[in-house]
Amino acid sequence: MSLGGLLAFGLLTLGAGIVLGGRMARTWLALSVAGCGAALASALPVLCGAGDWEFRGGFQIGGEPLHFRLDSISAMFLALLGAVGALGAIYSREYWSEEHSVGSAARGRRWWCAMILSMGLVLLASNGIHFLIAWEAFAVSGFYLVTLDSGRREARAAGWLYLAASHAGTLCLFAFFSTLAARTGSWDLGPMRDHANLAPLFWLAFAGFGVKAGLFPLHIWLPSAHANAPSHVSALMSGVAINLGIYGLVRFGGWLPLPPGAGWIVIGAGMVTTLLGIAFAFAQNDLKRLLAYCSVENAGIIAIGLGGALLGARHGDASWGRLMLAGALLHVWNHGLSKSLLFLGAGSVLHSTGTRDVSRLGGLWRSMPWTASLFGVGAAAVSGLPPLNGFVGEWLIYLGLFGAATSRGPSAWAAVPAAIVLAMAGGLALAGFVKAGAVVFLGAPRTKAAAVAREGGPLMRGPMVALAAACVVLGLAPFAVWPAVGRAVGAWNPRWDGAEIPAPLLELGLIQIALAGLFAAGAAWLWRRVHESNLRRAPTWDCGYSMPTARMQYTGGSFSGIAAGWFSWVLRPELRQRRPRGLFPNHAVRMERVPETALEKFFGPAGQLVMRLSDATRRLQHGRVQFYIVYFLGGLVALAVLTLLIP
Amino acid sequence: MITILETIGRLALWLLLAPMLPGIVNRVKSWVAGRRGPPVLQLYYDLARLWRKSVVMSTIASPGFVAGPAVAWVAVVGAALLMPLGPAGGAFSFKGDVLLLVYLMATARFCMAWAALETGSSFEGMGAAREVSYAVLTEAALITAILSLSVQTGSVVLDSMLSTSSGAGAVLLAAGLFAVLLAENCRVPFDDPNTHLELTMIHEAMILDHSGPPLAVILHGASVKLMIFTVLLCEAVLPLARLSPVMATAALAGAVGLVTVGVGLVESLLARYAFRRVPMLLTAAFLLCLFALLLAWKGGAR
Repeated sequence: MSLGGLLAFGLLTLGAGIVLGGRMARTWLALSVAGCGAALASALPVLCGAGDWEFRGGFQIGGEPLHFRLDSISAMFLALLGAVGALGAIYSREYWSEEHSVGSAARGRRWWCAMILSMGLVLLASNGIHFLIAWEAFAVSGFYLVTLDSGRREARAAGWLYLAASHAGTLCLFAFFSTLAARTGSWDLGPMRDHANLAPLFWLAFAGFGVKAGLFPLHIWLPSAHANAPSHVSALMSGVAINLGIYGLVRFGGWLPLPPGAGWIVIGAGMVTTLLGIAFAFAQNDLKRLLAYCSVENAGIIAIGLGGALLGARHGDASWGRLMLAGALLHVWNHGLSKSLLFLGAGSVLHSTGTRDVSRLGGLWRSMPWTASLFGVGAAAVSGLPPLNGFVGEWLIYLGLFGAATSRGPSAWAAVPAAIVLAMAGGLALAGFVKAGAVVFLGAPRTKAAAVAREGGPLMRGPMVALAAACVVLGLAPFAVWPAVGRAVGAWNPRWDGAEIPAPLLELGLIQIALAGLFAAGAAWLWRRVHESNLRRAPTWDCGYSMPTARMQYTGGSFSGIAAGWFSWVLRPELRQRRPRGLFPNHAVRMERVPETALEKFFGPAGQLVMRLSDATRRLQHGRVQFYIVYFLGGLVALAVLTLLIP
Repeated sequence: MITILETIGRLALWLLLAPMLPGIVNRVKSWVAGRRGPPVLQLYYDLARLWRKSVVMSTIASPGFVAGPAVAWVAVVGAALLMPLGPAGGAFSFKGDVLLLVYLMATARFCMAWAALETGSSFEGMGAAREVSYAVLTEAALITAILSLSVQTGSVVLDSMLSTSSGAGAVLLAAGLFAVLLAENCRVPFDDPNTHLELTMIHEAMILDHSGPPLAVILHGASVKLMIFTVLLCEAVLPLARLSPVMATAALAGAVGLVTVGVGLVESLLARYAFRRVPMLLTAAFLLCLFALLLAWKGGAR
């Protein structure tokens, strides 16, 4: 089947999924897996170098002829969308089934297809109007998916915040596309580097797509939306939806002529986002909020790579720019896959225990061994540890940063702090994911809900296994996807087309394979030795403390206490406590919460100020006609004075 | 064939020599304190004894309790194989190997902290929390040190980064890397490997519940890690490429011994710092490395 045929097939199946998804759950599953599979299958030939696909139809929508395009850059994102979309659909059959969520399951199925369809169209659209229509459909279907659980107040609030932030971003994009159309005279999108007067428009695109990508401080909607959405939706949003923001930045960073400071601002925003995102993640005690903030961090890492590429393109097409872009694009895949895996794992925990609060969990490995080990793989992958995939992308970005630093040019001023930020963020991510994994899955269950947890069924385990396998394979064989990444780098900047990207991925891949084998062999060998050595099981020794209770275990809050304290200037933790008093204290409370500082300390008060001003203005409108006549009169007099004063 | 033999030779060198370093440190400490002290080879005896012992494992620990130390050990030994050894160079030299080395250490840390938290013990939780938190700062200092070496030599390959001296910033870099060495290996003044007060420990608190072969693996891995950081410090400072192979080997061995004695002296003469001062000391180490980086940037050959 031709590429166009495959894409049309995907369009039709997903469309049918929207129509039929309400009643026929099985048919819906087949349709959405087929649709996502078609998306993946149509991306593969482009990634393998079969050339770009372009379609211009005579048919008009919104007064503009259809124009679709699939090149190596959009194919990378489309492949990720197809993979996560299909796996999430399978997962949701058990996770968000008719029995568990009466009423919303049918709605969820329809909107799932709608969201994947609209995301796919965003990636394919090559006309400003159609891009905006698809973008809006994607934002709205996201809203309905976030608020699937509309009985919960939190979910509704998160949904509204998401919708408001999304539309603030869309407003920027609307201004962007319409100005672009006005200046170029056509809504058609494509490379336009020779129109130098378009350069300032990059900032509009940066703001609009930055909201979706979750760059600090435009990320305010992200933690609550990703935490309160059903987990398969969180996986799709964190794994793919924020990457559409990245896609916009990459796409228009490549097509537009760039204003002078673009690379600096993007890499700077990336640094701030990376460090603060992971600091917030580390301090969270809500498992899904932690993962959501970690997505903010990873968007920052990708922005560092993209900013480096913009700098590199500006400073003589240095080879380190290519490395950074390749690292950023590869990190899109790596982060998308590992974060989807982690959200599905968190979903399994939530599904079986009913809580996302890590301090109410613990000891789940015994009842949920699959989820525990797969979450462990995802945690190591997203912390960027070799031999898994997260390391490869970060390694490429590091190589680029080191290249920029050793060039000792002006870009070194950005590269040196970025490398240090990346190192610190790596350390904090490791700490955060040790905490998330260990407090939830290890030790003894802290509550009854955690003690009676049950592993999810095959429909929930299967997608997680597939995602974990993808993380391992991308880590062990990065050279397999290297040509595809190289092609995308070439498509981004035609001057880089065919240029060598100096990274010894083959050596790295071989070493990673050897490491993975040795890790497995070492663990098996020690395990055997331990069992040969007359293994005895006893309660935790804990220096002779003989009466341990589960509540005396180290909690997530105490684990993150030290490093979160270093960031208290931005985290602003809220503490509510009642100390034990008297000789026989019996009641004490200590509650700590890390608020979304940017939202509660800045955007919230700013919004309230606007509301108060609006309220004050509303007093002018009271329905008394004689006053309105006075307004008119005053207005006329003012106009008269103005015309007299201004010649 | 030659590569395989060479790798085995290097592996044997690292595995066999590493447990000597803690022995030297302890010997220096007892010499300063006027005691006779344990033999230099004490750790070898301990490892042999632990390897033969049986294991007691917590009832709530998962297989990760054993797998963690094993994976951490493999990661540290893998990192050791990446290190160039003076004139012999590195076993698997490739562009960016230095970053793999740093991240292999991180893998080891992840596995150790994971294994520590298996038991649900608060002491082990405390140790793990300290380990991963302070590592954020040491990692920043380490990357800065590596950046300075990289800017100095214009390379991202350990082999060529470490073969020349780091020039004018060598003193600053040595001081910074020495502090990183002490912090990463949980020595005084960051941690006291001898103490038996669990509240004040980092590394030792993490391994309270380990026994038998897994404990042997942990102790051996820790000694290899100490040797990696010692060799890194010595090679960053010494201009080994300018010496003849024999001289370079002798200089490297002498310098490693010297640094080890230095660790012992620090441990004898300093007290452990209060935990709230540890971040300041690490920040100082980071700043030293940063100044070394600035010197390398502005001076140094292009």
